[in-house]
Amino acid sequence: MQTDNSNNDSTTPSGLRKARLAFAISAGKLAGASGRLFHIGGGTSLPGMIARRIDPNVLKSVVGGSKAKKIVITGSNGKTTTARMTAAIADAAGRSVSQNRTGSNLLQGITSVAVNFSDFFGRMESDVLLFEIDEATIPLAVPEIQPDVVVITNIFRDQLDRYGELYAVARALDEMLESLPETATILLNGNDPQVANFGRNAKAKRIFFGLETKDIGTPVPEQSADIIRCIHCNSDFTYEVAYLSHLGLYRCPECGYTLPDLDLAVTGATLAENGEGPSKITLRTPEGEMNLEIPLPGIHNIYNAVAAIGAAMAAGFPLDSVQTALSNIRTAFGRMEKIQAGDKTIYLSFVKNPTSFNLMLRLIAQHPGKKHLLLAMSHTVVDGQDFAWLWDVEFEDLVSDILDAVCSGNKTEELAMRLKYAEVSTDKISLIEDREAALDAALKQVEPGGTLYIMSGYTPTQELRRIMQKRGWVKHFWEE
Amino acid sequence: MSENKTDTGMVIKIGHLYPTLMSVAADRGNLFSIERRCKWRGIATEVEPIFVKQTPDFTKYDLILFHGGADREMEIASRDIQHKASSLREAAESNTVFLSVCAGYQLLGHYYKPFNGPELKGVGLFDMYTEGGSTRFMTHMALECKFEETGTKILVGYENHSGRTYLGPKAQPLGKVLAGWGNNGKDGVEGARYKNAFGTYTHGPVLPKNPWLTDLLIQRSLEHRYGKVKLLPLDDSTENAAHAAALKLAMEFKGTMSAIEATSWKR
Repeated sequence: MQTDNSNNDSTTPSGLRKARLAFAISAGKLAGASGRLFHIGGGTSLPGMIARRIDPNVLKSVVGGSKAKKIVITGSNGKTTTARMTAAIADAAGRSVSQNRTGSNLLQGITSVAVNFSDFFGRMESDVLLFEIDEATIPLAVPEIQPDVVVITNIFRDQLDRYGELYAVARALDEMLESLPETATILLNGNDPQVANFGRNAKAKRIFFGLETKDIGTPVPEQSADIIRCIHCNSDFTYEVAYLSHLGLYRCPECGYTLPDLDLAVTGATLAENGEGPSKITLRTPEGEMNLEIPLPGIHNIYNAVAAIGAAMAAGFPLDSVQTALSNIRTAFGRMEKIQAGDKTIYLSFVKNPTSFNLMLRLIAQHPGKKHLLLAMSHTVVDGQDFAWLWDVEFEDLVSDILDAVCSGNKTEELAMRLKYAEVSTDKISLIEDREAALDAALKQVEPGGTLYIMSGYTPTQELRRIMQKRGWVKHFWEE
Repeated sequence: MSENKTDTGMVIKIGHLYPTLMSVAADRGNLFSIERRCKWRGIATEVEPIFVKQTPDFTKYDLILFHGGADREMEIASRDIQHKASSLREAAESNTVFLSVCAGYQLLGHYYKPFNGPELKGVGLFDMYTEGGSTRFMTHMALECKFEETGTKILVGYENHSGRTYLGPKAQPLGKVLAGWGNNGKDGVEGARYKNAFGTYTHGPVLPKNPWLTDLLIQRSLEHRYGKVKLLPLDDSTENAAHAAALKLAMEFKGTMSAIEATSWKR
């Protein structure tokens, strides 16, 4: 075919590259469209997967050719909500945003952004490219994206079987930060003793966010806290306040390691007592003090909001519309998402490690009355195989409030046993592996006007949401 | 299930070694398992946490728990435990029951030599040593164990370790590997036993879904204090269902490198 001696551009090496890129993007777009058409998925990772098969450089080519500000958000918890808030702030500041907004944060999902938001020649119009990226995917994704801003929300113990030990994840992230050029900005959670120490030798500029108020928090970290010893000399930290797992105002009594000066600091905070929000905060920033209302509940959403404001600031967006942007934020899919199911209400929470699970249990405990629960866990690749961490979840704190609990997914037996050892009476526990049957059985136990609390892992959350979407209770998650 | 039986007047004294330092894989579930199954039978438990720098007389405990931690935590524990070692060995000689898991298990041997880094000295309670490998053994596992009190039993759990452990002549294995890697991936056995001391790589945590092992530990702990006892049976249908599910997984992954590589969608 190439022997044709016309002036066909596609025979030159760069023309070939362009043709290959165009083909990769068209094939990816087609795959995404047919996925949506046949309702087999939201086209969140398939387009990227197909496009990468055809042109492994597709992400690098599209992103590298774009003039947009590139923001990468990673960490164990809070990526999705932080990304949503960052997008809302950018949007309110008049910037157009392309992002992987549905929690598809592995390499294929990230590549799908390049496929979905570019034209057939790989050109992107957006002002901002926003990527939330799984912490294990970071070392692969960052060299391709060459971000301007990198946000690290926190590092908690998460799926030991997938990532190996916590410290290995930390080392990989640190190496990535050191590879960034000096034009980049690194935004780090100063309340996380390990994250605050990242990038000490990086060329890029580091800025820190966090809380420094005693209005909220506890005197010592909870049981499941991961980093409670000094990362330099291994002595036990003393905490002035612990906010969430090992996040807090820490100091090492031996070597004096403590949190850095915070560039964005929450100096005052009030949480809503009903567990539903809003929280009110006073935030000190280099651009002045702000009083903000965060509509989503809990300390974790304060962190998410402050990280988002920091990311927007680092990317150079004006901050005057931050409150408007935050006020319009709804919960991300499956983050204490309130769903109307006929005359009953569902709160759907995606939980994947002791920290996120304990947070949700604490919020639920603040809701009045006794609780109907549906717990669903699965051992697929994205969910992990090792569910030992269920034993670090403080079910014990909610036991007296539990009316009944349905356990579902292929970790049904494990969940039921965990509840039994939290001394939930076995006659309150039912085991129903099938997701739809479990949902119906759980809802049947709820009185009209009552509430069902669902806490589920990654795959079960998607499956449950798909069922609810079929029933018209929620929208497709890719339409959000 | 959770109605509490009449008080038997019996008590088990438990020493929980490094409860915050060595607790990486939610192994506190082992303690929960022992506490609840005692409570449901009217047996009291007294748990003493034992931290770095504390050197109690370990012979006062009936049962000592020592769980896993990552390399950095293990280094701290290795240094500290040298001050506890002789008392721990004395307790083992006097038939105190031990359950040690993963890093805790490794530290009860002579030494642990990480893949990179200096050798960590152990307690020498088990006649064994461990060397770090370049790959991790991560998979569901099943063992066949045999005890006088229980007969042949299956133990299920999840292993996640890079250490390869080799037993000397004075340590017996805990069981034969039916699925998974075990001590070193070569000799087909897992864990270690010496008198009433047990060591294993099984997480999960190991006790909740192996109620027979929990009860064996409880029984031997009671006998350490009171002489021959017989435990009241409990309704174990929930535990047995979890055991069966874990066994099924382990047998599916039999002979594979890791659970992740063996998931069906990859095949």
